[in-house]
Amino acid sequence: MISGLVQILLWQGLGELISHEWLKTIPGPVIGLVLLLGFLIWRDRVPDAMGLVADGLSQHLGLLFVPAATGVILFLPQLREHALAVFTALVVSVIATVAVTVMVLRILSGNNPHE
Amino acid sequence: MNKHLQIHEIWVYLSGSPLLALILTLSAYQIGFVVYQKTNRLPIANPVAIAVILVASALEIIGMPYDKYFQGAQFVHFLLGTATVALAIPIYRGFRGLRGRMIPLVIALVCGAATSIISAVTVARYMGASDDIVGALIAKSVTAPIAMGVAERIHTSPTLTAVFAVITGIMGAVVARYVFDVLGMRVWWQRGFAIGLAAHGIGTSRAFSVHPEAGTYASLAMGLHGILGAVVIPLIASYILN
Repeated sequence: MISGLVQILLWQGLGELISHEWLKTIPGPVIGLVLLLGFLIWRDRVPDAMGLVADGLSQHLGLLFVPAATGVILFLPQLREHALAVFTALVVSVIATVAVTVMVLRILSGNNPHE
Repeated sequence: MNKHLQIHEIWVYLSGSPLLALILTLSAYQIGFVVYQKTNRLPIANPVAIAVILVASALEIIGMPYDKYFQGAQFVHFLLGTATVALAIPIYRGFRGLRGRMIPLVIALVCGAATSIISAVTVARYMGASDDIVGALIAKSVTAPIAMGVAERIHTSPTLTAVFAVITGIMGAVVARYVFDVLGMRVWWQRGFAIGLAAHGIGTSRAFSVHPEAGTYASLAMGLHGILGAVVIPLIASYILN
């Protein structure tokens, strides 16, 4: 398990380095993600230790953004003032996104509703 | 009196170390997760939403300012980057066995991602939301760990972005099935991809609980949308926010 974590941290480090030096607009971890994805496709398998760490992290991914999301208490007055706009924008957007995506997929894959 | 003093000393010690913030964060999430499981993974009983409400209430009660809490909780926060890199593994697993569908998936990804940004920004602007809020809406359909990194790059609030991402995820997990039913969409992989794209991690866990194929495609959509968002949003944000 530790070796999996070390490998992921190294890819993260490499991503941060590239982001800092050359690709400043892209967050380092995303560059690390893309590099690791390329590596996995090249090797055509996921090392066991790495799979174990990834499963643990993704199962409780939500925990990791609790500290930042709690910062919402600093924005409460602003959110209260614009509550209706925020709520409407989020609802409309999520429905439109789901609908457009699924319809594009259906049109492009031959319109068969019972594939 | 003496005993009172001791408790006070312990309190001062605890609140000065990262321990208190870590205990608060982890136990609040633990409670949220138990509730989530007890309600059969009801999207509305989202563990992150419950944890945020609990932590925020606790901070209010003990009178701890947010930045002091964050100093301790940043050790949890730091792992976000690591978890982002680790998303490569579910994406890789999703890639296998779908190569023939790659082109429709990529086109749907681009259309869905564009719809998500344009619809949210247009509605919020039209209804008079402030610039902070409009900016934080741009990345809200991208998975929260990546969305927050993107928010930093486009100089908007990572906190608001994370909160909007969580709310979007919950809403997507709740409403997606009705949208599919109204439109008559019954193909699992298409439903899965759409919900993963629009509602990232929360939608993906919903998709997995309904059908395994939907779940695999949802996590693929979430990952690809994360990568696309991280590359494209910083390039177009100044145009959207001008």
